[in-house]
Amino acid sequence: MTAKDALTERYQDLLSVYLKAKTETTLYKGQQFSRKLLEQQISPEDLVSLHIQVMDELFPDMSEEMRDSFDFLLEAMIGYGFAYREHQSLRDKQQQLESEIEVAASMQQTLLLSDVPEFEQLDIGVVSVPAKKMNGDYYNFVKSGNSLSVAVADIIGKGIPAALCMSMIKYAMDSLPEEQMKPHLLLENLNRVVEQNVHSNMFITMFHGVYEPESHKFYYAGAGHEPGFFYHAKEDEFQDLIAKGLVLGVSRTTTYHPYEKMIEVGDMVILLSDGVTECRTSKGFIEREEVVSLIRKYMDLPSQKIVENVFQELDRLQGFELRDDFTLIILKRLV
Amino acid sequence: MNLQINQEQINETYELNLTGEVDAYTAPKLKEVMLPLTEKEGNIVIVNLSGIEYMDSTGLGIFVGALKSSKANNSSLKLRGMTERVKRIFEITGLTEVMDIESGVKGEAL
Amino acid sequence: MDIQSCVEVRNEWDIVSARQLGRNMAKELGFGNVDQARITTAISELARNIYLYAGRGKICIEPIDQLGRKGLRIVALDNGPGIREIRKVMEDGYTTSGGLGAGLPGVKRLMDEFSIESTVDVGTEISATKWLR
Repeated sequence: MTAKDALTERYQDLLSVYLKAKTETTLYKGQQFSRKLLEQQISPEDLVSLHIQVMDELFPDMSEEMRDSFDFLLEAMIGYGFAYREHQSLRDKQQQLESEIEVAASMQQTLLLSDVPEFEQLDIGVVSVPAKKMNGDYYNFVKSGNSLSVAVADIIGKGIPAALCMSMIKYAMDSLPEEQMKPHLLLENLNRVVEQNVHSNMFITMFHGVYEPESHKFYYAGAGHEPGFFYHAKEDEFQDLIAKGLVLGVSRTTTYHPYEKMIEVGDMVILLSDGVTECRTSKGFIEREEVVSLIRKYMDLPSQKIVENVFQELDRLQGFELRDDFTLIILKRLV
Repeated sequence: MNLQINQEQINETYELNLTGEVDAYTAPKLKEVMLPLTEKEGNIVIVNLSGIEYMDSTGLGIFVGALKSSKANNSSLKLRGMTERVKRIFEITGLTEVMDIESGVKGEAL
Repeated sequence: MDIQSCVEVRNEWDIVSARQLGRNMAKELGFGNVDQARITTAISELARNIYLYAGRGKICIEPIDQLGRKGLRIVALDNGPGIREIRKVMEDGYTTSGGLGAGLPGVKRLMDEFSIESTVDVGTEISATKWLR
């Protein structure tokens, strides 16, 4: 017996039981039967045809008008069959796309994963969480000689275009090893790459810094990136870590200003993406002062704990629905 | 939140008055109106932002695109009437240095 | 019966004639009513496309017999503007006809075999086959 014959038989049984005693139980079975039809991808016009076939068996003397009306119903059902099959095909396609995105997202994770290096003088904490499947924020640590280089970038837009753009940044950075240690020159070089390769509506903001352990100096430059903070332990105060400069990708000839800062024991350099300060709550935007007070609340903890706690509190304030990718990095000088 | 765009034209001068928010959802609408205006040589496009309370980076990207287009096509693009919040993101991103932004910023109060 | 029959399509009434032709042949060949309805729907869609986008053309219906396997083939021909991006037209959701809303991909799913050839400014030929089970 084919699957179709089995269905026909089952439908005939159910229908004749129902016509004899119109009980809710049989209707319930009918509803369950419809689930089975969907499982077996029986289209609406097939069901009508099944009904006609069964009615012919049960009522061989059915009036001609009645019989013909079923044929008409069948014809009118074709459109639903059309839509049903389109729905199935779109659903298959969507599943396929979703799994492709999953693969791309995990590839991106592997590609861009930057291990937080062990660095004796600094206690480093990082949290970077995407709002959607793919992260538009990028951070990168590179240990070169005795120095530590750190970069944070935010690609405008979210999702796949931003992620693709970020891979470009990563490879451009990898191919500029010499400049890696001079932030303002690194930004100049990256700017040329970005300007030539991105769509005119796109741009990238970036902060790049290098810590030199011998001199305890932090050299840095910024390309339109949301300013971070500098915590000066001696004065117990937070300052904006301002590094002015045009975003990457707007003008080919942009140059960047070099900045430097002495880092003393207990000082902190705090870098972030604008997902941190553009957090929106029901009460409005979170101001930079609030981010500072959150950091202050946890600043006696190890850096990793600070960034995690700050993220959790901001995430909670936003009702656990990130609107933008979120990256927060803290470097604290230990000795 | 939505974005309303009001357009006035005198000869080759177009003034766009924006009200609402420029974000990932409304940015395409702004682009559709503003970009073609910057593509015609000699056009002067003035965008009044005094009614904009919020702009995100995607919105900013539309202005970057319009700036590039005006440079490539010899038209001009001027921004005016920024609120403090909007002005801040133009300042952080360094765009105040490369864009024609009329001084005399209006405060948040309208 | 093994001769191809064609209907000129110039207006909406011709769509009905094409359907009628297809239904008669489908009945003769022994297709059940669900398949009859599918075949006529496919004819409707193809004829509507001709009427709406090419202005005029024709629908031909022929019975086929390949090594004892019987079926029915619909051929839609026009000298209209042609289709520039066939891949796009064959994508779901890209609906050019105001018909049943699924356009050509829908026709393809209603039938067993489907092929399309189109040259811009020359015309389009679509052929679709349903096998008798």
